[in-house]
Amino acid sequence: MVSALVEPRPARRKWRLPVTLLVGLAITGVILVLAILAPVIAPYPFDGMNILTRLKPPSAAHWFGTDDFGRDVLSRTLIGARLSLLMGFGATFISFAIGVPLGLLSGYASRTVDEMIMRAMDVLMSFPPILLGLLILTVTPPSIWKAMVAVGIVYVPAIVRLTRSVTLEIAQEEFIQAARARDDDLLYILFREILPNAWPPLIVEAGLRVTFAILLGAAFSFLGMGAQPPSSDWGLMISDARPYLEAAPWVALAPGLAMSLTVIGINLLGDGLRMALDPRLQAGKSG
Amino acid sequence: MSIDPLLRVESLCVSYASLNGNVPALRDVSFSVARGEALALVGESGSGKSTVALAILGLLGSEATVGGGRILYAGADLARLPAEELGRLRGNRLSTVFQDPFATLNPSMPIGMQVAEPLMRHKAMPRQEALARAVAALAEVGLSRPAELAKAYPHQLSGGMQQRVLIASALICEPDLIILDEPTTALDVTIEAQILDLLDTLRRRRNLAMLFITHNLGVVNRICDRTCVLYAGSVLEEGPKDLTLHRPLHPYTQGLLRAVPQLGPRRRARLRPIPGHLPEAGMLPKGCVFHPRCSHALGECREDEQLLRPLEGGMVRCWRADSLPRAEDGGATAVDAHAAPTRNVLLDVQDLRKTYALGRKIRFGGPHLVRVERSEVRAVDGVSLTIRAGEVLGLAGESGSGKSTLGRCLVRLIQTSGGMIRFDGEDVTDAGGAALHEFRRDVQIVFQNPASSLNPRRRVGATIGRSLDLLGNIPRQDRQPRIDALLEAVGLPAHFANRFPHQLSGGERQRVSIARALASNPKFIVCDEPVSALDVSVQATVLNLLADLRDRLQLAYLFISHDLSAVAHIADRIAVMYAGAICEEGPTDAVLSRPNHPYTEALLSAVPTVNDATKEDSRIRLRDGANASSHTPTGCRFHPRCPRKIGPICEQKVPPVVSPSEGHWISCHLPVEELSLPAADVKNREMA
Repeated sequence: MVSALVEPRPARRKWRLPVTLLVGLAITGVILVLAILAPVIAPYPFDGMNILTRLKPPSAAHWFGTDDFGRDVLSRTLIGARLSLLMGFGATFISFAIGVPLGLLSGYASRTVDEMIMRAMDVLMSFPPILLGLLILTVTPPSIWKAMVAVGIVYVPAIVRLTRSVTLEIAQEEFIQAARARDDDLLYILFREILPNAWPPLIVEAGLRVTFAILLGAAFSFLGMGAQPPSSDWGLMISDARPYLEAAPWVALAPGLAMSLTVIGINLLGDGLRMALDPRLQAGKSG
Repeated sequence: MSIDPLLRVESLCVSYASLNGNVPALRDVSFSVARGEALALVGESGSGKSTVALAILGLLGSEATVGGGRILYAGADLARLPAEELGRLRGNRLSTVFQDPFATLNPSMPIGMQVAEPLMRHKAMPRQEALARAVAALAEVGLSRPAELAKAYPHQLSGGMQQRVLIASALICEPDLIILDEPTTALDVTIEAQILDLLDTLRRRRNLAMLFITHNLGVVNRICDRTCVLYAGSVLEEGPKDLTLHRPLHPYTQGLLRAVPQLGPRRRARLRPIPGHLPEAGMLPKGCVFHPRCSHALGECREDEQLLRPLEGGMVRCWRADSLPRAEDGGATAVDAHAAPTRNVLLDVQDLRKTYALGRKIRFGGPHLVRVERSEVRAVDGVSLTIRAGEVLGLAGESGSGKSTLGRCLVRLIQTSGGMIRFDGEDVTDAGGAALHEFRRDVQIVFQNPASSLNPRRRVGATIGRSLDLLGNIPRQDRQPRIDALLEAVGLPAHFANRFPHQLSGGERQRVSIARALASNPKFIVCDEPVSALDVSVQATVLNLLADLRDRLQLAYLFISHDLSAVAHIADRIAVMYAGAICEEGPTDAVLSRPNHPYTEALLSAVPTVNDATKEDSRIRLRDGANASSHTPTGCRFHPRCPRKIGPICEQKVPPVVSPSEGHWISCHLPVEELSLPAADVKNREMA
């Protein structure tokens, strides 16, 4: 080997993870672990009723108190995390799986294709979300996975629009013209040239969407179209606790706080991922 | 010069905070500007010239720290002035014009108010009076119908007009000093020439001091008295303009001057670039900052940093300044052996058209009561040209003339609206499928913007490799060696294949773009402003690379540029484009000398050059062509701006083609004999 050929590699930066990402990862991680282990660590069965301990405030026996059926709120919150998170991530996955390809196509392909996709999205958006979900759900008997699909479809237009606007911008870049000049195919340009550059805003959006999906999922549960009682879901728990807000606020507070913490954690995770994934932001940081 | 200069910067040191610690941006920068004097602050990107302007204006961000030195304005230390005093100074005694007029003007405020604002703020002038003064100021900067203009909004004005407005706004409080940060870089040459004229007049009229920040040495020659050359945050040379531009003291200045392509007849020659590139921020070499790139460097240059010391009426920071060879020589060297263009026509374009629909308007009234009007822009309007194998056709013209559209039509990135493109004898105008794939192999394109022409998320090797996979036609085991060979062909080491674009400099990225274009062994490459975004010294290396590749691989180029000097340097023939059509075409030497189309004549006259000694009155200045492209005038396209317009014939009849010599044609109503005379002579004769 000639010494001149030894690569003077561009000084590799130490892989610094943004603090945001670490905090987000920690919060989301803990919640995920708790949700997975819920049946094991829950102190009481989530549906174990006890008329004698109705609406008891937090105590050593019941850390988060009990609800109107005397069920342990902590256990219900832990178990509820499973359905809520499943709803949040599952629905977001569905809306991205449908929305991102459509958005890419809409932003890059011919005007006719763009018009067709966008007008279809307009139709979808013109339904109020709850109504659209109900439309999908009422045809068949309700179940949690159908609610997930419904929530996913409700959020498709938002994902399509976002992806499209990012794509429109990237499509103007000269490297896309260069890809056309080498006669590259449509799918390669969409998924290999444009998509990697479109991820940062999409990831942040995904964080937001997960939290919206949890909330909308809770709304469907409340309407009796999602999680079915007596199974536990944060949205369902808050709805059930509504009549006792003044007498026993802890019943609503526990799932509410859990939901807020999840929302914050997932949002931080999204922001952190964006920072870590974008090489330009990495470069900008260390000048 | 007077004893007490208006502005004096003494040993200014500024550094920026970054993760790697404090990175020095300015180191011991000293200069002064006397009353009524114009000092040019010259430097390439990253030299720190804009930091100087920001430091004087007190606009350095929070990440910057002033490590030492003073800035004195009329004897007062700006750092010690109380904030309100400073506020009274800025925009009042001391004003500024930035590079991008569109970004500087407030889009939602009428022009008049923006010009009047400083008066109301600094002089506490009542609104009506200030507005009246603003109208007068707009008139002074050469804007016609100032009263109407004062009510207009920025988007209604062309770039040149916007820059005039900014100058009017900067001058309205009658400052003593005006700081101009690349004020003409975003403008076309003809507009740039007008703005420089205007600044020159205003300076004389008002005894204004100017700190003119620029990278363009031609502009320096045109407008400044003294020059201060900045490199990597240090002043390398300072002195009177003539000294710096004609007998430069520092090897860097000498190198810069050599690297600039000249508007001269030196075909197929090579420029002499400065080797290497600017040191990265925070990685300054020991000793002289320039020594790693200096061909005269000796031991002492590597060890100690020297002070700025006087020499021959200027100041220089160089150990070897006394013993340097100072013979002034031209910019380019001839190469002995080169391949001449062949006779076989490679690309033949006939009557090419591209129109863009602007939209539809519904008009009421008329015989049909309701009428839908379609408006369109004819971006390319009947262009015919031929390019032979191994030949470089230069395409010059201002922004909006349709150059890039034409280039993209030729590589079939844009579908044409009419006309025919024949490549290698085959009609490819509407080719698709396999025929288009073959065409893509033979015809490639290099883009302007090094920041956007490479996918930021893919390594260089992957970018080049993809072109090889699609168009290269090579067996799998040859792929990696071929990527290495392509990188080597553009002068980059093979390990660059592992880099991401953001780890490359602008010039290196442009080389990668060229390597990508070469992957399919093309015969013809459209170079769309390939050097416009690059610094002078880097520009020279890329131009040389293109010339070398042309000779080695028998490539033909369409070289598109707004920079006539760059076009003249590399092209065998030049076509000049105006408003979608070619108005003159011919061999480079013929186009660069008389007779010319009046537009070419104006362009040539407008280019600021280092050796320009033209007299004031023989310069040709074009009127501002506001929105020249939105509607094509009848007759000759150029008549609304033509300084040689004959009369109604120019407005009514499409001009005939006259041919002064073999292969050189001009589209103009004037006879060749008339076009051979300088415009000034014609004017004088008419007056006599």
